[in-house]
Amino acid sequence: MKKYWLIFRLSWQNALTYRLNFVMWRVRSIIGFLASYLFWLAIVNSNQNIAGYNPSLLLTYIFLSGLLRNLVISNVSYTACMEIANGDLSNYLIKPLGYFKYWLTRDLADKALNLSFFAPEIIALYYLLRPAIVLPQTSFQTASFFIISLLAALIYFFLSFLVSTYAFWHPEHNGWPFRFLFIMLLEVLSGSSIPLDIFPQALMKIFQISPFSYLIFYPNQIWLGRLDTNQIINVYLMTFFWLIVFYGLFRFVWQKGIKNYSAYGR
Amino acid sequence: MNLKRYLIYWLKTSELTFESLIADKLSSILFITGKLLRFGFMLGFLFAIKEKIKLVSGYNIDQLVIFFLIYNLFDLAGQLFYRGVYWFRSDILSGDLDFKLVKPISPLFQILTSHTDFLDLPQLFLVIIILIMRLPHVTWQNVLVFSLLSLISLLILTAVHIFVVALGVITTEVDHTIWIFRNLSGMAQVPVDIYSEAVRTFLTFVIPIGLIFTFPAKALYGLLNPALIFLTISFALVFYYLSLKFWYYSLKTYASASS
Repeated sequence: MKKYWLIFRLSWQNALTYRLNFVMWRVRSIIGFLASYLFWLAIVNSNQNIAGYNPSLLLTYIFLSGLLRNLVISNVSYTACMEIANGDLSNYLIKPLGYFKYWLTRDLADKALNLSFFAPEIIALYYLLRPAIVLPQTSFQTASFFIISLLAALIYFFLSFLVSTYAFWHPEHNGWPFRFLFIMLLEVLSGSSIPLDIFPQALMKIFQISPFSYLIFYPNQIWLGRLDTNQIINVYLMTFFWLIVFYGLFRFVWQKGIKNYSAYGR
Repeated sequence: MNLKRYLIYWLKTSELTFESLIADKLSSILFITGKLLRFGFMLGFLFAIKEKIKLVSGYNIDQLVIFFLIYNLFDLAGQLFYRGVYWFRSDILSGDLDFKLVKPISPLFQILTSHTDFLDLPQLFLVIIILIMRLPHVTWQNVLVFSLLSLISLLILTAVHIFVVALGVITTEVDHTIWIFRNLSGMAQVPVDIYSEAVRTFLTFVIPIGLIFTFPAKALYGLLNPALIFLTISFALVFYYLSLKFWYYSLKTYASASS
């Protein structure tokens, strides 16, 4: 445990060593949030109800998406695909530490770092923009929001690692092409910038069974009180289902990949 | 400037980039699929809200679609020709910029055009086809002004990329800077008029994405008066001149570290 705590601390030191890089990353994050917020603000200023969303619900959705991006989607473990592609994975295989635990620790450190900066940023933005934020109505909703969000972060960890294993078979461009497609799917299907239930019902049925919607859209819906108790329980079941599926799939593909691994570039 | 030499250089680097894309077809297909998916999603969103909302700051959804398509037109043009900027940071860190500086061809031209991104072509063709299909009747005068402002947009886009490269030479930071511009320019997927006065002014005259993406589309609808057209051209020329000044200044700070 001690060595993982050390990795956690080193991750923070590493991120804060390249300060300009980190500051620029935060600026990007704020601009991305503001772009989305101002876009929706302009739409709700002209339209008071869009697919059942009033201005407060929509603007709260955008604020929560900002939080969930930092909590669920921010990670550094995506660089594992580069380590597989360029052969650096070998360095870890001979060390007395678990490769996944190492990246899970680094991801936790990254999320903690991002959230510690996001918190004052979002408070400042709240006082600047003054939106009417919707709060959860019951403690069950509040607890479910946080539990589902944490489970979503774990799903994303396995899902993202699964994407990285593509580099075992296709190390060209450090495995980036498949990740690019994955990022685009995530952008589209997670509902990070557009609430998915604005789309036609037929498309919404596809979103419902896609794992991506359980990363941002559904935690958001729980907070906003747009799901009843039965629907929240259904979200729990689906989240556990996808967690088990991706954990199993990831272990299986990793075992296959490691047999195929030949440390290219070493 | 020997234009023929520059044309040969651009054709050669483009040919090499194209060959590398052909050599790895699966990667190219994945990239193109991702780009088309993103484009289709936003277009789908605009069509999805067509029945649910009437106007956004005076624009109907059909007009917003045209603004979105024209945004894509210039955004893709910037990426198609100036993708080299995304590779520039490694040149600074490794000191490989030295090799560009000693060649008898503008280093700025080499940096900007080193990777012509052919992967943007399928989306560009799609954008042009949809634009032609959905374009309302426009007068030839508006088309003329649109053409003029399109050239001005490309000039401002070039200047923005020069600023990013120059900033990269000074700070070694390129990737985040270009992505901050891309994130900001995403706000121009819709006309910048829909934002508040302060935001609109910022997006027009500080980071001129309004001039690049919104103004040509407004010209097509005849929504720009001659004073604004004159102002845009003047701003573009000054902005481009300043970007070149900044580039030459940045070269004085280049220390050729790591080379």
